[in-house]
Amino acid sequence: MRPLAAAIETKQLTKTYKSRIHGKINVVDRLDLHVEEGEIFGFLGPNGAGKTTTIKMLLGIIYPDSGEGHVLGKEIGDVDIHRIISYVPERPYYYEHMTGLELLRFYGSLFGINDVKRFEMLLEKVNLHRDMSKTISQYSKGMQQRVGLAQSLINDPKLIFLDEPTGGLDPIAHREIRDLILSFRDEGRTVFISSHELSEVELICDRVAIINRGVIAQQGKLTELLKGGRVEITSEGVSEQWVRDRGLKDVTVRSLASGVLVDANEAEDINAFIDAVRASNGRIVSIVPRKKRLEDLFIQTVTDAKPEAAAAATKPKTITVEGTDA
Amino acid sequence: MLSPIFSIANTTVREAIRRKVLLIILLVGVVFLVIAPGLGALSARSETTVLRGLLLGVIQITSAVIAIVLTVYMIPNEIERRTIYTILSKPVQRWQFLIGKYLGAVSALAMMMFLMSFIMVFTFYLQQGQNATAALDLLKAPAMYFVQMSLLAAVAIFFSTFVSPIVNFFLSGGLYLLGSLFAPFFQTLEESQGTPAATKLFAKFINVILPNFANYNVQNPIINPGQVIQNEQQYFIQNTLYGLVYIAALILGGILVFDRREV
Repeated sequence: MRPLAAAIETKQLTKTYKSRIHGKINVVDRLDLHVEEGEIFGFLGPNGAGKTTTIKMLLGIIYPDSGEGHVLGKEIGDVDIHRIISYVPERPYYYEHMTGLELLRFYGSLFGINDVKRFEMLLEKVNLHRDMSKTISQYSKGMQQRVGLAQSLINDPKLIFLDEPTGGLDPIAHREIRDLILSFRDEGRTVFISSHELSEVELICDRVAIINRGVIAQQGKLTELLKGGRVEITSEGVSEQWVRDRGLKDVTVRSLASGVLVDANEAEDINAFIDAVRASNGRIVSIVPRKKRLEDLFIQTVTDAKPEAAAAATKPKTITVEGTDA
Repeated sequence: MLSPIFSIANTTVREAIRRKVLLIILLVGVVFLVIAPGLGALSARSETTVLRGLLLGVIQITSAVIAIVLTVYMIPNEIERRTIYTILSKPVQRWQFLIGKYLGAVSALAMMMFLMSFIMVFTFYLQQGQNATAALDLLKAPAMYFVQMSLLAAVAIFFSTFVSPIVNFFLSGGLYLLGSLFAPFFQTLEESQGTPAATKLFAKFINVILPNFANYNVQNPIINPGQVIQNEQQYFIQNTLYGLVYIAALILGGILVFDRREV
């Protein structure tokens, strides 16, 4: 099979800012990023992790201090690349006095495009054709986001950068934006999404990278990163100490009123535990597979690098598990 | 190459003429122009002289305030509202963006100055027994003020590429006052026979650096018919060219700064 071409490739891309208080800060530190053509790529990270800085560097709006990067085969900073890419920033502001159609005409003129039929077709695609004569000031947040997506399609881009595309939107608008993003992939475009909406990302992204404090902490296919998951086994007739004495490697045990709740990962441990319970005349009450979620991976990745926050981040999770005990 | 510049300029004009703060300043100017005949009547001096002075003074001050307020927020606003990102992520060079913004600002300024000039001429025409020649003669001053304000807008656009709007307001305003009040002094110092060589050099340096806004204050010959500008046409052409060269230098400087600026 032919390897997929890289839509974005960065090597050791670094951006440093000087702060009067903290001195030099590496906002993005030796970033190695690989985004394949035709995929939806999720770029995740907590606030201040360096997501927007990375996007701005890829767009050539700010300049890296070192390292290199290529977007669709061209070096970053090459204005020519802007003919085949597009960008929708976080909480964008569009000139409020313009109507939806005028806005598209304005952005079209920056490409030398003055095809009103195309603009109308794009507004129809984002379901704004009935509101194209309204001014942007009359648009809701969701409509503004959709007109932003329409303007991003003017040049028929191969690669679209979306910074928090669903931030602050209601569930219906979320769904509309999500469907549009999926349609971009179906049309063969590459979509690079920076987002906090992990459930959204999990639903639509093929691959993700998690950036923390300017460093890529995880990168890969979502299916591989979320592979595994755990299994929760509730059993009666055995005690917590009895389970501990079995010498199982990767399990956590909690006492319940009439037995134990065992959380295991390895198939070997799961089988060994079930066999041991049966052998000691205990009873398996339930076996519930728990799929690994992107949120778990994200919190684990971010808190692993920030031990002081780990306790706070994992505390609610513990409460949820213990809820079965109550 | 020019299409993005004109698009950005056009959008800038449409934004500018909707800015409430500018409309309020313009409205205040217009109100003063309309009531100027009443204020002129209160003066002990010749009513016509005072009226001319008042009308031209109102236009100049209002235009200067509009030029500064219009331009100091222009680039910072685009960055703060993130509009600049959607524009610079299109095939638009930073120099095209800056020139487009400047041309838009100057066009909006021209529209506002045209309106004030029209009201000024109309007011003077009605007040002075419908003397059309005298009324139209007043237009020489706003024409030169327009070059002056375009220069002031270029100063403010240049500073807006690297300082905050508030600092820019005082820098541009200060430079306008310095260039209006002290440029003639340094010019005289440079040209005077008795000036020591070092002082002459210093005065020459200041004359090169400091834009000479005083060149455009042509109201005196209009207010006082006894005063004349020798070879008026040549004076206007020379100073317009001076302004254009200065504007070009400032825009070029702004482009060089803005090109490497992190936005």
